[in-house]
Amino acid sequence: MTTSCGNLAQKAVTETAIKIDNLNKWYGDHHVLKDVSLDISEGEIMVVCGPSGSGKSTLIRSLNHLEEYQEGVVSVFGQPLSRDRQSHKIIHQTMGMVFQNFNLFPHLTVLQNCTLGLTWLRKMSEREADKMAMRLLDRVGIAHLATRYPGQLSGGQQQRVAISRSLAMEPKIMLFDEPTSALDPEMVKEVLDVMIDLAKTGMTMVCVTHEMQFARQVADRVVFMADGEIIEVGPPEQVLVNPQWDRTKEFLQHVL
Amino acid sequence: MDDLNVKNQPALKQFVPTPPRPPHKSERGVFGTIRHRCFNSIGNSLLTLCVATVLFYLVKHVLDWAVFNAVFIADNRRQCMDISPDGACWAGVISWFNGLIYGRFPIDEQWRVNIGVLLGLVWLLPLMSKRIPLRNFVLLSWIGLYPFVGGYLFLGGRFGAELGLVHGAMTCLALAFLVILYANWILSALGKKGLNELFVPLVSRFVERRIHLLSFVAVWLLVGLVIAFGLSQIALEPVPIDRWGGLFLTFIIAGFAITMAIPVGVILALGRRSKLPVIHWLSMTVIELVRSVPLITVLFMAVTLLPIFLPADMEFNKLTQVLVAVCLFAGAYMAENIRGGLQAIPKGQYEAAATLGLGYLHTMVLIILPQALRMMIPNIMTSFISLLKDTTLVSIIGLFDIMLMARNIANDKDWVGMHTEPLVMISVLFFILCYSMSQYSLNLEKRLKVDR
Repeated sequence: MTTSCGNLAQKAVTETAIKIDNLNKWYGDHHVLKDVSLDISEGEIMVVCGPSGSGKSTLIRSLNHLEEYQEGVVSVFGQPLSRDRQSHKIIHQTMGMVFQNFNLFPHLTVLQNCTLGLTWLRKMSEREADKMAMRLLDRVGIAHLATRYPGQLSGGQQQRVAISRSLAMEPKIMLFDEPTSALDPEMVKEVLDVMIDLAKTGMTMVCVTHEMQFARQVADRVVFMADGEIIEVGPPEQVLVNPQWDRTKEFLQHVL
Repeated sequence: MDDLNVKNQPALKQFVPTPPRPPHKSERGVFGTIRHRCFNSIGNSLLTLCVATVLFYLVKHVLDWAVFNAVFIADNRRQCMDISPDGACWAGVISWFNGLIYGRFPIDEQWRVNIGVLLGLVWLLPLMSKRIPLRNFVLLSWIGLYPFVGGYLFLGGRFGAELGLVHGAMTCLALAFLVILYANWILSALGKKGLNELFVPLVSRFVERRIHLLSFVAVWLLVGLVIAFGLSQIALEPVPIDRWGGLFLTFIIAGFAITMAIPVGVILALGRRSKLPVIHWLSMTVIELVRSVPLITVLFMAVTLLPIFLPADMEFNKLTQVLVAVCLFAGAYMAENIRGGLQAIPKGQYEAAATLGLGYLHTMVLIILPQALRMMIPNIMTSFISLLKDTTLVSIIGLFDIMLMARNIANDKDWVGMHTEPLVMISVLFFILCYSMSQYSLNLEKRLKVDR
């Protein structure tokens, strides 16, 4: 793993970006998250993997309150979150999210998708917002498609737009919810490349993904979840190469 | 490895597309198509001939009545009958034409109606240009400000006297807005700065923030004052509302219903989807109640019941009551259309908006409603068309709209019993209006489809 670009080791003091404490969630009678506790440091790249239905998407969606949970506390930079205005503000100022289905706004152009938050929430002037969005689009390699509509782009391009749209709000933490699962195999790479670039900049990232190669290359730590529980946490070499649990081993045999 | 593969494989064949062949002769040209489609077998040929004969007699009969045997110049129905007993008597419609269009509006003042309607159309014209910034704002200004101009022109009276000073001020501001809109449009077409931009240096001397907004306001007030001075020199003859009528009144009622249907519908639809129980049940009650009652009943209730609920000193004229009723009726129907559109928006759109930090209002106005309304254009336009036709029902409660004027023709002593011709004329008129609306909606759909 010489290509690892995790920058955790180089940091002398790392602050806890997200602290998840005993999170519990039920869908009716179904217990989806069982006493999940996890600390994610600033600048850390955390990959969450596990079989489908293991609660990994639910976990990541609980972090920015897209899902409600019944028990437990999520703290962001030391601030425990609740359902009040203040918490919403913290969430939106610190976290960006990329979805499996891109969820771009189909009635707006690529550029407008990226500038929407800047002009309406940050009250930025149109020119400034355009400049900033174009810089981000250029970074993910699709500046030439700025005037197109999402429906005219390929899946990989759409997902890259979605990443720029989130980055435009200058989040400190990026959440990725299976960003490559809806893509054709040929397009997975272009999205992963963007994510690897992002990881190199020192962004705190939480990625739910099935791309084990990506996990090995980029992740600082890998979390393996099954049946709503965290089974193993550790550096990729440990969890993906020498798993301690039979459940992890079984999963890896299917994926790799 | 690659080199090995190349050596072992035989050279690839080159693909050349087969040249296209022309289609069969019988399918070419107009005659070819007709022969191929309509006379391709004995049975089909017979069928084509039968249909053609029926069509020919139908069209001939209608044309005979409406054009060839029709009477266009006559003094009364008796004369019509003498000239041509089995033709239409358009002379009656022609002599009542003015009444059909303007109702009982005084003939000398009818230019005001023309100018008012023309101004309304002129105001909307910039919407077609892509050069105008903030086009939605133009539409909003039309909804918010045009009624004052219309009211001033149609009702008349001395400036600021009969209608009150507020109305007068709003009229001036509305006209000023229109003037600035057009001035900026022309200036930008010429590649010059807009009218309000000229004020920016002056305004920026006094304030530091919101310079562009304030300079626009400054120009607006200035032009408004000039117009106010101009208008105060003119006194228009007052025309009471009960003199309004004909197609003009139909336009006012339908126009009001159509413009208010969307805002009222959106509010009711969002209310119905709200999680707050009071708002939810209130919206649902309004929607279900209004939808389950015929429009005539709503109209009667508005005219007879509304005054009972309102304080005694508040007096509305019949038109206002009708407008409120029609607006509620249109809104309730529109609400269900819009709710259908809202339900078709995937959950991911709400989630994406939420993760960007957009609040409820921003999410709805910027993300959800534009998509929902776009998706519902065919349904919304269907509602608009039926609204336009439904407004003819106001004749029942005694407003002199085009329907009532048409029936009045039959009561005229010169044209006693003439029912068919006015109704045919109204049918043609409504067909033209409704058909152009439906064509416009198709055009709108095609234009907005680009982003799908």
